[in-house]
Amino acid sequence: MPIRPDILIAILVMGFASHLCRMSGFFLMRYVAITPRVEAWLSAIPIALIGAVLAPVAVKGGPPEWAGLAAALGTMRMTGNDFLSAIAAVLVVAFVRWVGA
Amino acid sequence: MVDGAPPFTSRGLRAGAFGVAPLLPVVVMYGIAFGVMAGAAGLSASEAALLSAVVNAGGAQMASLQAWDNPVPILAVGLTTVAMNARYLLLGAALRPWFSGLPPHQSYSSLFVMGDANWALALQEREEGRNDAAFLMGSGAILWLVWVSATVAGQVFGQVLGDPARFGLDFMLAAFFATLAVTFLRKSASLLPFAVGALAAIIAERLIAGPWYILIGAAAGSLVGALRHADPA
Repeated sequence: MPIRPDILIAILVMGFASHLCRMSGFFLMRYVAITPRVEAWLSAIPIALIGAVLAPVAVKGGPPEWAGLAAALGTMRMTGNDFLSAIAAVLVVAFVRWVGA
Repeated sequence: MVDGAPPFTSRGLRAGAFGVAPLLPVVVMYGIAFGVMAGAAGLSASEAALLSAVVNAGGAQMASLQAWDNPVPILAVGLTTVAMNARYLLLGAALRPWFSGLPPHQSYSSLFVMGDANWALALQEREEGRNDAAFLMGSGAILWLVWVSATVAGQVFGQVLGDPARFGLDFMLAAFFATLAVTFLRKSASLLPFAVGALAAIIAERLIAGPWYILIGAAAGSLVGALRHADPA
């Protein structure tokens, strides 16, 4: 099957970016002392990114997305199982969309 | 720092390959969801397989699909990948004390298949006194294989399935991130970066087309986290 050239370029660029991130933290630790401030910055990245992904979903979404987020948060708080929580959320979204809310 | 190289054996590879088994159902589901969405975004089975094989990062791939178009906006998907994978800097940095004695062909090829799950598993192994460094590569290789296979299955399955939104599959990334948020927000230091990231993303999403809001929110939130740390109080 032929691969579209722009998609091939996108894949190579994304692959390069992905593996650069994987390699460079390990590589840089040879030379860079991670100061408390740098560490605070690096460790705040994941939760800031999670907020940035979720907030527009909540703001732009309707009842299915709100119910889905509530299901994910609620199931996770009760069970602590991320797989179960993600599946529950997806099922709730599908159900509320199917009901037509 | 530990002096000398840690062991890197075929037994360690096998331990990793078997140790990762409990995580595979999640990876299969997530890979299928990605494959279905990739198909809906216009990728063929071979393109989706190549994407998963080369990039090997679920969150980055899912987020990039939000920006996917014909032709693909290369800069946007590239920067989205960096934004989503910037956390790997930390994971890699944390491996330095353990892996520093390894020859580069072993340490860097292990990093090639490093993900959140097998990184955490490997460090847990070491914590329990098994310091065979090949564990990361063994577990990562299996995860990679399953991730690529599930992507193809999802892309093919998606042709039959129709619109993934009907089944809530487009919500998979948000659902996964919401569960991560629960874990992260147990630390009070996470609250401010989370709130600032969320607010900045909402504003940026209104003002700028494309997926830049993720990068802008992550940058704003994390910098606030770093600044706050510098406060003497």
